[in-house]
Amino acid sequence: MDHLLNIVDVTAGYGSITILRGISLHLDPGECIGLFGPNGHGKSTLLHTISGLIRSTSGTISFDGTDITGAKPPQIVNSGLIQSPQGNTLFGDMQVFETLELAAFSRRARKDRETNIQKVIELFPRLGERNTQKAKTLSGGERQMLSIGCALMCAPRLLMLDEPTLGLSPRLKEELAVAVGKIAESGIPLVIVEQDVEFLMSLADRLYLVEHGEIVREIDRANAPGHDEVMRLYFGEHTH
Amino acid sequence: MTETLIATLVSGLVLGSLYALMASGLSVVWTTLGVFNFSHGALMMVGAFIAWTVSEAAGLGLLAGITAGTLAAAVIGVIIERLLIRPFYGNRNMLLITVMTTLAAMIILEKGAQIIWGARLKQLPRLIDGEVSVFGTTISAHEAVLAVIAPLVLIAIWRFTVSTSTGRSLRAVGQNQNSATLIGIDVPVAFALAFGLSAALAGLTGALLGSIRFITPVMGADPLVKAMIVVIFGGLGSLGATAGAAYVIGIIEALLILWLGLYWTPFVLFLLMIIVLIFRPNGIFGSAE
Repeated sequence: MDHLLNIVDVTAGYGSITILRGISLHLDPGECIGLFGPNGHGKSTLLHTISGLIRSTSGTISFDGTDITGAKPPQIVNSGLIQSPQGNTLFGDMQVFETLELAAFSRRARKDRETNIQKVIELFPRLGERNTQKAKTLSGGERQMLSIGCALMCAPRLLMLDEPTLGLSPRLKEELAVAVGKIAESGIPLVIVEQDVEFLMSLADRLYLVEHGEIVREIDRANAPGHDEVMRLYFGEHTH
Repeated sequence: MTETLIATLVSGLVLGSLYALMASGLSVVWTTLGVFNFSHGALMMVGAFIAWTVSEAAGLGLLAGITAGTLAAAVIGVIIERLLIRPFYGNRNMLLITVMTTLAAMIILEKGAQIIWGARLKQLPRLIDGEVSVFGTTISAHEAVLAVIAPLVLIAIWRFTVSTSTGRSLRAVGQNQNSATLIGIDVPVAFALAFGLSAALAGLTGALLGSIRFITPVMGADPLVKAMIVVIFGGLGSLGATAGAAYVIGIIEALLILWLGLYWTPFVLFLLMIIVLIFRPNGIFGSAE
């Protein structure tokens, strides 16, 4: 069976600085995977490379059987591979509803615009209440909801969420975790980047630990780490 | 006395319409690309010359001329964006570099126009002959048309940026390129579109102005400077602020000409600009961020 997303030996970076050092991972249809690991080790760079914002220097990325290595971001979005980036501030002077409507920009997404807006409002009722508010006046949690909402407006066939709960209060974190769970239940395959391994384990079928731009470990339910082991994965053998 | 005042206000309104068309083009490029286009006045001049060539030299009529002038300016605008601005996207000094490249474009267009069309003054016929009476004062019918077309064009552009997907995408790109890219907006296409639209506005202004003023290779310089004063006065953020400022400056200019004469008017306008820059660097209508 073909993988929905298949990344083989990808290296990438910024200018002369290499961040990703030969990353390989895959995602099968209907699957959710998680990426975790310390900050600054290449998780977001990996998502940016998949979305085409950064060009890989070697390796191949294919989505749904098509090679998308080096493809332009609009093409990648049009094929249904969507990212909600970390700390997305979106368009400060644009209203919530306007932003959601605009997000259905690709031809494929535009035809389902109205039904998708309904779905997003159902998932995040607060966006419905704030519909004429400008994005810059939203709270961090609401902005995160809008970012995920925008990604859903793009009619994703695979959705990559980069730290959807970063910097949020525990209550909001819970609210967003529930929403992400609902998105997964609706059948959209997810790639989730998170620091919270327990949260990831509750959603994802498999996890990859990213360190120094490499996949250092693949975890599935069979070899799920305990709390102590997670601490060890993050902080090393002798630190705590 | 009141008659003179009314006549002055009406001529200020006509000037304001002209500045509004010019300045809104600058504003569209600034809000989308973050570039100040110094070749905007030269694009206006090209619009006027092409309109003259099609309308007078080829004898195809003024409407065909105005259309051709507008389109030609748009095409040249897209070419300027492609050759002189796009290579510098992402450069740390983009703003400064594009000051130089758009100034270069201005010189190339002005000298090019001199080579192609020569230095002899040219003028277009008027859209409508005759005069109209406005509030008891008479202006040429052509100026009245200019005063009516300008707000209509501005409203059309405002509707375009607010309620169409393409228009919204231009605003989105200006506010956050990464987020715009990730919802599938092609940023270079949006840039080219914004520049083309802005240049089309300049071309249209030139083609309309060619009936009131003489068409010369340097005719764009003065409207560009006035449009600069307008955008500094109004703030470069929104079309509404730019248009409002254009009319305010137009009326102030007309009043200054009445009270101080032509000689001191530019001096006072620039003084006003400096005062605004000192006390409200984001413009009278700009937000204080």
